[in-house]
Amino acid sequence: MGGKVTCTLGEVKNRADLIIYWGGNPAECHPRHFTKYTLTQKGKFIPKGRKDRTMILVDIRETPSAKAADIFLQVRPNKDFEVLSALRALVKGQRIDAARAAETGLTVEQLQDFADRMKQARFGVLFFGMGLSMTRGKHMNSAALLSLAAELNAFTKFVAMPMRGHGNVTGGDVIMRWTTGYPFGVNLSRGYPRFNPGEFSTVDLLLRGDNDAALILGADPGATMPQPAIDHLARIPTITLDPKVTHTSRLSRVHITTAATGISAPGTVYRMDEIPLPLRPPLKSPYPTDEEVVRRIYKAVAKKPMWLPLLEPTAKG
Amino acid sequence: MELTITKNATCTFCGCVCDDIELHSDTERIVETKRACILGESWFRNHTAERLYPDALIDGEPATVDEAVEEAAEYLYNAHMPLVYGLSNVTCETQREAVALAEMIGGVVDSHTSL
Repeated sequence: MGGKVTCTLGEVKNRADLIIYWGGNPAECHPRHFTKYTLTQKGKFIPKGRKDRTMILVDIRETPSAKAADIFLQVRPNKDFEVLSALRALVKGQRIDAARAAETGLTVEQLQDFADRMKQARFGVLFFGMGLSMTRGKHMNSAALLSLAAELNAFTKFVAMPMRGHGNVTGGDVIMRWTTGYPFGVNLSRGYPRFNPGEFSTVDLLLRGDNDAALILGADPGATMPQPAIDHLARIPTITLDPKVTHTSRLSRVHITTAATGISAPGTVYRMDEIPLPLRPPLKSPYPTDEEVVRRIYKAVAKKPMWLPLLEPTAKG
Repeated sequence: MELTITKNATCTFCGCVCDDIELHSDTERIVETKRACILGESWFRNHTAERLYPDALIDGEPATVDEAVEEAAEYLYNAHMPLVYGLSNVTCETQREAVALAEMIGGVVDSHTSL
């Protein structure tokens, strides 16, 4: 199990006739997703735009995005994995138990109709949000959804794409993949990259109190993380780079004000479908960019002796 | 005062990264946004080029960037298990530098993806 069958938003615009949003609320969180990329646009093989597309929304509550949907399926909280597993079974023509299906908040008929629509689509896409990946089951929910999308390719063309939140969080995955081989939570403390989510992911590290210094940039964990993690950031020397003095800056030993990305700092940013786009900042900031400050910290550290004993000549030679 | 018009500007508020925004700005702030959504508009209008904050703070006291960079380097160098975290609202060029720094200080580099 693994891997993501995906595509670009341009392909969704030109080809997708079945659009599914799972555990996300694009109407409020990605307001132009419907109109610029997915639902209402006319595409090369979708000549009538919205009329040629079916949208299904799966969520635990009826959000404003439900108004845009043709079908809204309300699942019980923490039952996403069960729904996805039932769909995978139905897609393969297996039967599911009515009583167990009812526990998910959906009937067998609803699930069968959902599975049929997916198999009958010419080009289907599953967009999944944090409502799927941050509830019970976490990355196993994402894995089940990605498997469903992959398995549907036995019948038709089907893809999956995460609805990424912050501006360049996708770029972070891409850059870490390219430089270390892993997308996030990369531990370089042995001088080579190691990857183990749950062990080397930030909240887990901070909750265990593993870190003895932190550099925070392009984020404000002081406003968003669990309180014990914030408490640990306040205990250790934390350094924050941000265009504003944030909650994290206030608990930091060092804060450096930087230019705002895309507004007064140039560079490249990845869209959620991993398309890199150049920034066109209209303003000139009195502050240095994050890039410049990180490079200056790097140079200041590089002047000190190397910490890694493996690189020192050994006694035996 | 004459406004500068920036066409096809890129909005970095959310993962949509819309790159068709038209911005009208003077030297200090963006005064008009075309085609941006409600989130993008507040994003562009909330960041100005004014000097609203000190260049740097060390223990809450204003400091120069040079001093702050040296202090940051000292803390990160002396740590056994430093953490480099965030990377969501910075450019790819910055992320690349941050990974290089994390490797040199022997730390963990992580983003919002792990949440």
